[in-house]
Amino acid sequence: MKSIFFHLMPYPDLPDDFPEKHRSVWVEIDPELYDPEVGHQTYNEYLDELEFAAKCGFDAVGINEHHSNGYGLMPSPNIIAAALSRNVPDTNIVVLGDSVALYNPPLRVAEEIAMLDAITGGRMVAGFPVGSPMDTIFAYGQNPATLRERYHEGVDLIRQAWTSDEVFSFNGKYNKLRYVNVWPRPVQEPHPPIWIPGGGSVDTWDWCAQEDLVYCYLSYFGYKAGLKTMQGFWKKVQEFGKETNPFQGGFAQFIAVADTEAEAWDLYREPAEYFFNTCLHVYAGYADPPGYKTPNTVRAGVEGMVERAAREATARQEAGKAAGGGIGSKNRLTFEDMVEKGYIILGDPTQVTEQVHELATSMNIGHLMVFSHFGNMSKDLVRYNTEMYATKVMPEVSGLFEDEWEDKWWPQPMEAPVGRDVPEMGDAGARQ
Amino acid sequence: MSGFAPTTLGFRTGHLGLVEVGSGEPVGYIHGMLGNPGEHAFLTALADSGHRVIAPSLPGFTGSSEPEGLRSLHDWVVAASEMIDIAGLTGLPVVASSVGAMVALELAAIRPEAFSSLVLIAPFGLWDPDEPVADPFATTLSVQRRMITADPTASSSFFDDPSDLPADVLVEHGVDRYLTRTATAQLIWPIPEFGITDRLHRVTAPVTLIHGAQDQIIPASYLDRWAAALPNVVGTHVVEGAGHQAEFDRPDDVAALVVAARS
Repeated sequence: MKSIFFHLMPYPDLPDDFPEKHRSVWVEIDPELYDPEVGHQTYNEYLDELEFAAKCGFDAVGINEHHSNGYGLMPSPNIIAAALSRNVPDTNIVVLGDSVALYNPPLRVAEEIAMLDAITGGRMVAGFPVGSPMDTIFAYGQNPATLRERYHEGVDLIRQAWTSDEVFSFNGKYNKLRYVNVWPRPVQEPHPPIWIPGGGSVDTWDWCAQEDLVYCYLSYFGYKAGLKTMQGFWKKVQEFGKETNPFQGGFAQFIAVADTEAEAWDLYREPAEYFFNTCLHVYAGYADPPGYKTPNTVRAGVEGMVERAAREATARQEAGKAAGGGIGSKNRLTFEDMVEKGYIILGDPTQVTEQVHELATSMNIGHLMVFSHFGNMSKDLVRYNTEMYATKVMPEVSGLFEDEWEDKWWPQPMEAPVGRDVPEMGDAGARQ
Repeated sequence: MSGFAPTTLGFRTGHLGLVEVGSGEPVGYIHGMLGNPGEHAFLTALADSGHRVIAPSLPGFTGSSEPEGLRSLHDWVVAASEMIDIAGLTGLPVVASSVGAMVALELAAIRPEAFSSLVLIAPFGLWDPDEPVADPFATTLSVQRRMITADPTASSSFFDDPSDLPADVLVEHGVDRYLTRTATAQLIWPIPEFGITDRLHRVTAPVTLIHGAQDQIIPASYLDRWAAALPNVVGTHVVEGAGHQAEFDRPDDVAALVVAARS
């Protein structure tokens, strides 16, 4: 099983009373809460953390795209990937991913991932999410009734652009391009692996199963709650008569590991509570714009991951208001709840290993997105959590599935890629 | 929508729903974001005043099949043009509400003879940044319901599930409601202003404007903006106690205004 160090890049300095005083961390988050100095510090710390994870031996580092969002400071994951590309020379980069329908034309994604693949020598994974309603519909003004059609057309354009041997015309419903010619081309043949982050749409299960794409369930609610969704996907894979290769599945999980369980309870409480009570404080009105779901998903009664987060956050705020509750009142989610329900896997290395093993085998997951950073975790604690997972847990789970299954969705880098070669100034003796 | 049993008319590869109530002088009704309400009190009140009310469902809304190939406002206007021909509304006096009023105006701008007269209830289509139209979709369903009618129970035909239907039918009822909301979103997302003021000089049919005083989506002040922008406004009315779809809150009062506009 591959372990991918995944970073959401949350803004770490929202006020304690945010859930009580504000309606949503997403779409309408108060611009005055953003401090550019904190932003500068935060981006640099987060890039350090991603590079440190690479140094620790994670199979990949992972990043994603959000807009107008207090828990996700990556409007452009490709910029973050570019910042990482020369600093993590031995690690793959999973961009999970570019919200294809938001790029005009989506050819931009094909070009940028190709550039990144060229710089890294073929170490890219290209993730293509539909994007959350908050990002796509509200922050970026896409029409919910046509978003998915636009998205699928965009993915189709990108795949054609990467694989066509000649300049071609693309006459889509939403994209009309007389000359398509991606230059540079990706290093990987036929193109970087494509992973699809999903939030619970049953039609995405169908599509990934049919097209042999990796389905990644990026849930914030842990493996216990995510099991049903992954089972739904694997059922579709079987219905198409295909093998249930665990490397076709991905899942995200918060992990908090320490030398002892008691220490873990002590260390991770504050950042976990910050994430689940402040970062996920999303107004429910942004979660389900009409047309975002397919009729099949409505019919199946499947609730999306952010839809659930938003519904629960809004319900907690309304309950808190009704009870006259303030900061720390019982309408907030407790750390004990988060651990008990499996949102966070917590414990000493043995306990965490057991749970990760259970997660991987019960859900049949070959790609685990590990949230070793969450909420407002300090840089030192991130370093500790990252290193503990990399040295004490990862070696125990990395062999899972590797002997039985081929990971057909993992980057295939060049055999001898070049790296940094920047001479010192004044060292001009080598000139002929 | 228990009891909503429209006639279906062929429309492209799918169908349109059509409700007809009463007999007498024909008058059309093009519904708003609450969809085609069937034999609703508003239609009945119009029928009781001696009219045959013809109420088609726009593509994608309750009673009609999902729209195909409708990717732009132009596509919608072409579809509406076909719809009025198929439903027999062409050349008739028509009452149109909310998103239906926006479509009717766009159609009248391209095809001025489409309607002999128009009664428009809170049309979408204008935008004042100092007093913007509210976003009816950045809300929970319960809040949206309170935005569309002043009295939430007035929109029961759309929001409430009939209790006398089996579970599988109720699921489809929910899907149908979702698709109706989707069709509205498709028409007005993200800002319901598509340059109509440049085309309004073509709307030569007499227009009567009605606006709910308690409209939570389009401020009542938009009545004056429409009155100034349209070339042939023959009457304006603010209906007290009514929200965005005034004909649901005050069916008899709005029907009386329609009858008065006809005389």
